[in-house]
Amino acid sequence: MNEFLANSTRRHFLSQNAMGIGGVALAWLLQREGLLANPVKPDLAAVAHNLLPKQPHHAPRAKAMISCFMQGGPSHMDICDPKPLLDKWNGKDFPEKIKYDNAAQASSKVLASKWKFKKHGQSGMDFSEIVPGFGSIADEICLIRSMRTGVNNHGQSIHALNSGRTVAGRPALGSWLTYGLGTENQNLPAYMVLRDPVNIPVLGVLNWSAGWLPSLYQGTVVRAREPRILNLDPPPHLRGKPQENFLEFLSALNRDGKSKGELDLEARIASFELAARMQTAAADVMDISDESDATKKLYGIDDAATKDFGTRCLIARRLVERGVRFVQVFTKNQFWDHHGNIINSLPASCKKIDRPMAALVKDLKGRGLLDSTVVHWGGEMGRLPVVQNEKSPGRDHNTYGFSMWLAGGGFKGGHIHGATDEWGHRAIENVVNHYDYHATLLHLFGLDHTRLTYKRAAQEQTLTDGQPGKVVKEILA
Amino acid sequence: MRILLGTCSLLAALSVGAAPVLFEKDIRPILKEHCFQCHGEDGKEKGDLDVRLRRLLLEGGEHGPAIVAGQPGKSLLFQKVRDGKMPKDQKKLAAAEIALIREWIAQGAKTARPEPVDPNAVLITTEERNFWAFQPIKNPAVPKGAKNPIDAFLLKQLKAKGLAFSKAADKRTLIRRATFDLTGLPPTPAEIKKFVEDNSPGAFAKIIDRLLDSPRYGERWGRHWLDVAGYADSEGYTESDAERAWAWRYRDYVIRAFNIDMPWDRFIREQLAGDEMVKPPYNNLKPEQIDKLTATGFLRMAPDGTGAGANNAAARNQVMAETLKIVSTSLMGLTVGCAQCHDHRYDPIPQHDYYQLRAIFEPSLDPKRWRAPNSRRITLFTDAERKKSDAIEVEAKKLDGERQKKVDFFIKQTLSWKLESIPEAARKPLREAYRAKKRNAEQNALLKKYPSVRQISAGSLYLYDREYSGEISKLNTERKKLADKKEDPKAMEELKRLDARIKFFRDALSKKVLDAMAKKAKDLRATKPEEPFIRALTEQPGKVPTTHVFYRGNHDQPKTAVKPAGLSVVTAKAIPENNEAIPSTGRRTAFAKHLTAGQHPLTARVLVNRFWLHHFGRGLVDTPGDFGKLGERPSHPELLDWLASDFMKHGWQLKRLHKLIMTSDAYRQVSRRNAKQDSIDPDNRLLGRVNIRRMEAETIRDAILSVSGQIKNKIGGKPVPVMEDEVGQFIIGKENLDGERKPGKSADLKGEEFRRSLYVQVRRSRKLSFLDAFDAPAMEPNCAKRPVSTVAPQALIFMNNEFVIAQSRVMAERLQKLAPKDPDGQLAAGWEHALGHEPIGDELSRAREFVQKQTALFKERKDKTPELTALANYCQALMSANRFVYVD
Repeated sequence: MNEFLANSTRRHFLSQNAMGIGGVALAWLLQREGLLANPVKPDLAAVAHNLLPKQPHHAPRAKAMISCFMQGGPSHMDICDPKPLLDKWNGKDFPEKIKYDNAAQASSKVLASKWKFKKHGQSGMDFSEIVPGFGSIADEICLIRSMRTGVNNHGQSIHALNSGRTVAGRPALGSWLTYGLGTENQNLPAYMVLRDPVNIPVLGVLNWSAGWLPSLYQGTVVRAREPRILNLDPPPHLRGKPQENFLEFLSALNRDGKSKGELDLEARIASFELAARMQTAAADVMDISDESDATKKLYGIDDAATKDFGTRCLIARRLVERGVRFVQVFTKNQFWDHHGNIINSLPASCKKIDRPMAALVKDLKGRGLLDSTVVHWGGEMGRLPVVQNEKSPGRDHNTYGFSMWLAGGGFKGGHIHGATDEWGHRAIENVVNHYDYHATLLHLFGLDHTRLTYKRAAQEQTLTDGQPGKVVKEILA
Repeated sequence: MRILLGTCSLLAALSVGAAPVLFEKDIRPILKEHCFQCHGEDGKEKGDLDVRLRRLLLEGGEHGPAIVAGQPGKSLLFQKVRDGKMPKDQKKLAAAEIALIREWIAQGAKTARPEPVDPNAVLITTEERNFWAFQPIKNPAVPKGAKNPIDAFLLKQLKAKGLAFSKAADKRTLIRRATFDLTGLPPTPAEIKKFVEDNSPGAFAKIIDRLLDSPRYGERWGRHWLDVAGYADSEGYTESDAERAWAWRYRDYVIRAFNIDMPWDRFIREQLAGDEMVKPPYNNLKPEQIDKLTATGFLRMAPDGTGAGANNAAARNQVMAETLKIVSTSLMGLTVGCAQCHDHRYDPIPQHDYYQLRAIFEPSLDPKRWRAPNSRRITLFTDAERKKSDAIEVEAKKLDGERQKKVDFFIKQTLSWKLESIPEAARKPLREAYRAKKRNAEQNALLKKYPSVRQISAGSLYLYDREYSGEISKLNTERKKLADKKEDPKAMEELKRLDARIKFFRDALSKKVLDAMAKKAKDLRATKPEEPFIRALTEQPGKVPTTHVFYRGNHDQPKTAVKPAGLSVVTAKAIPENNEAIPSTGRRTAFAKHLTAGQHPLTARVLVNRFWLHHFGRGLVDTPGDFGKLGERPSHPELLDWLASDFMKHGWQLKRLHKLIMTSDAYRQVSRRNAKQDSIDPDNRLLGRVNIRRMEAETIRDAILSVSGQIKNKIGGKPVPVMEDEVGQFIIGKENLDGERKPGKSADLKGEEFRRSLYVQVRRSRKLSFLDAFDAPAMEPNCAKRPVSTVAPQALIFMNNEFVIAQSRVMAERLQKLAPKDPDGQLAAGWEHALGHEPIGDELSRAREFVQKQTALFKERKDKTPELTALANYCQALMSANRFVYVD
């Protein structure tokens, strides 16, 4: 295979909706001649989609993102938004209007937090005793206490935070980012999903769906069992030598002389070679055996409670290190949906992620990657200040005021933004709606949320979809 | 390619200094593309300048004359474009265009002829009318030198370049090529053998006849047309991309039409106006009437969100716009869409034309009297079926009523239980407050205090079951403690109380009871005969809407009214506004007649070009949906015309044309390249050999199913469902989501999953991932030509995809049965099934070596069936081979 073909094939790598090798070859030639500077027919020509790095609208702060999604809705007033008023009112009737999701166990009694809060870092950020790890990275954290989606349930709020609107069928944030920016490593998927081994969160695969964007921009899931990445990893019985033999046999079969001079056939042979390289790259990034014991320990891989999440956080770092644009790390289905028995279940949930996430932030920082990588902690909602299920107290859903945090990638560390009311019920100060969050995030990636568009049904579609999203300047470093 | 050619021709025009540069021919197209929009069109004259005529350029605007003949340097027009000051948007003129303007002015700014007084009078110039695609179809004389006219035309151009046809392909290659071309499936070894052994002169013609008679032919060629028609089983437009339940009848109609070799003039007329061939009202329909109505499904293929939450003016307008796009690309080879907002920048389609074309369809897609998809359906229910269905509904309603009574009972139970935990004094007022139809302030306050009561509702009843179960088990524990105290009357008393209490909670358990009752009603309703519908396009009798030009394409800014007509550049006869003889307007019937009367310069050309494309891998015009200025010029204009005219002369029948093409020497050549041709005609536009072609997505999947032997051939019917799996791939299966939208296992599809790919549901937002990977089109709204990509994810599919691996194994089992205990026989049979050839040279020994090596490995790995697994891996390699996925 000549060098030109090798190049063009690599350029074309992973692009499903593109024109094919012939077309790319020509485009490349033309580009070299400078003839494509003003494409004659921009609005009519079929757009060739690919994952090559793209130029953002302005200089970016962030290049990659790791979103640790706490599906179910962590209780902010028990983790990071202390509310002394709840202690005073504990067990009394809540005096304000409230909306319950679970009718059978609705109660009007106020529930105080069971955990002690302490100020951490130079910034003096409050965290409760069940997230000591968060405390240890307080000065890197930009804590938003005034998140709001204002919709009813898990599904809708996940949609709002992940795809801009409460309906199914729209592209996920990660799809938008890879559509807008491509990826830095053509040997790995641009957008990867590290799901929990037990099960997938509410809304299932819609969490990483490309919606109506080309399927090229969909998240690639790392599964809990072999083959870990469908289509990329061989089924167990073909792993290793059998597949090597297979490729060798196939290659000989394909080099039977008939293909001489046929660029398409030669490109196809090259595509198998490329596929094999991609397998190697993926296997390599998943294999953490070359990490030091200290690193593994930092992530809690030595502890049964944190082993799984820690391993996935570590893999997330390895992915970002290799140029993957967007990584989602999920906890299992409704892992944070503490309607009852919050006294035992919330600390258990925190334990699983606290040390690994602190490690992730520290590790990225140590490697000089935190400046360009956004780390996100948060779920789709918070919880109510009142009891649910008096027999085994928990808290019901609250999408009107909740917390999440971001670190790195241009977010201001050691900073608290916004506030809920004295009850932790509603965001009242510097409210950040899901579309503000999206506008801000895209801004840090060098993208203007009104200009990152995709044409569909004669309309220019955006992530924020005409909602009045504003870049929250106060939380930018 | 196009871009390059365009630029070259400009450069060529410049280098040939002798040819005078003329306004109409050379300059106006540039100005039309870049400048008319602000300087002339729509009455807009920025800077008081209209650039549509040379005269007006000389006159100039508020900054003085735009050109000074003979003096480019003093001409504002030239200065502005040279300095990049104009056009103001980002799209600047190419250097060659600027140079051409300079040359034109330098030569004295000449025109081809005197200019008219009114700039609006020259919406279409003579130069534009003279464009090749708008010229009448000629019937050129067939050159001498070949038996088949196709060969004669092709050889003429080959010889002019000192080239000739390549030798004929061997018989195995030929039958494989023909079988894939006509049926989209591989030939069986038996079919190959028969052909190889048939030495009669008409052997190949016999093969063609057999293939054309196969029902698989209509499936294969129907699929080609479905691309152009934009066939989909979903409505698109909105996020929900709602399912389109009855579109498949149109798909089946298309397959039928191909299989019976329906003449294309009729096929087009039925698709455009089949409804006007059937007298309303549409009930008790005969099969041929059903077919004609179904045919109009062609005009219902565009995305339509108006039945899925987007029944607004913009969405309605979009249905019309997309329908026009489908009609124009499929039947006229033009992209009229641009003229929706302004005169077409490149082709002679003034904005006015777009709306007169639109007027043809306005009575059927009338935005003022819009009908959402469901209200457009035509029922195929008979009276008897209707009666039966209604009777079942009456019974089902009774069941609903019974269930409602039970719901009321459960609410009562729940209420009385929740009241128990509330202070005695509050119970009565609280009960009244809950029950009250209209609550007063006091009652509202009371309920707010006790959300546990306020929240009780029919929809939340299931939530209490868990609590009741908890209570029951607690009571049972207490009960056990009393079991051995039978002598104690007090204990017995307590036991009685506990039992009553347990009964209370047992009775309150609602979910099972209500679910069962709901299921009973649902099951009963399921016994209703399903009401079949046709998805058709019809008009509303007696309604004749007026069509307006929309200012800048804005549907809320209607301007001048227009009358229905075809495109002006084709000089159509006007289309009557309303045919009084029939209930509908007859506009579409007239339009269809106009397209198929034999005079239209585009329709037949566009059709034969598309047929050609599917036989040779590229069209004579390789932009099959765009015969306009930005499209490609025909490689063989005479051949194209001859084919079009021959096609029409012989009754628009496609099967005859297939045979003519396939029996040509051109079609039967080898694909192998040779150095001489490569140097003279590297793109093989002259067809001195045949092109190798990557199979389409559907063909790859169908071929895999064929060689595994698992393919299930059955014509037509409802689509095979597509679902999302746990990682977000779209696979074949029935969607089975849990309450949190997570996918569960599909129900058994009973072999439907092995049907040909064209029967797999085409949901716009859920393209079957396997097909998607191999460039199956996104129907937005249709696909004039499929792209072919060669990318690593395809390779990964052949290496690791579950479908491929499963099918390889099925194929291996088949081979073991075909040649029991004969490993070499199995290998050879696999080779022939998959590749159409017998293994030659060392091919068999290499295959044997590979399988032995793999068998040993699998044995080592304690595989239960090492031989079979190795054979399967061999089959997988065959399926992955270039020779499998390419037709040569």
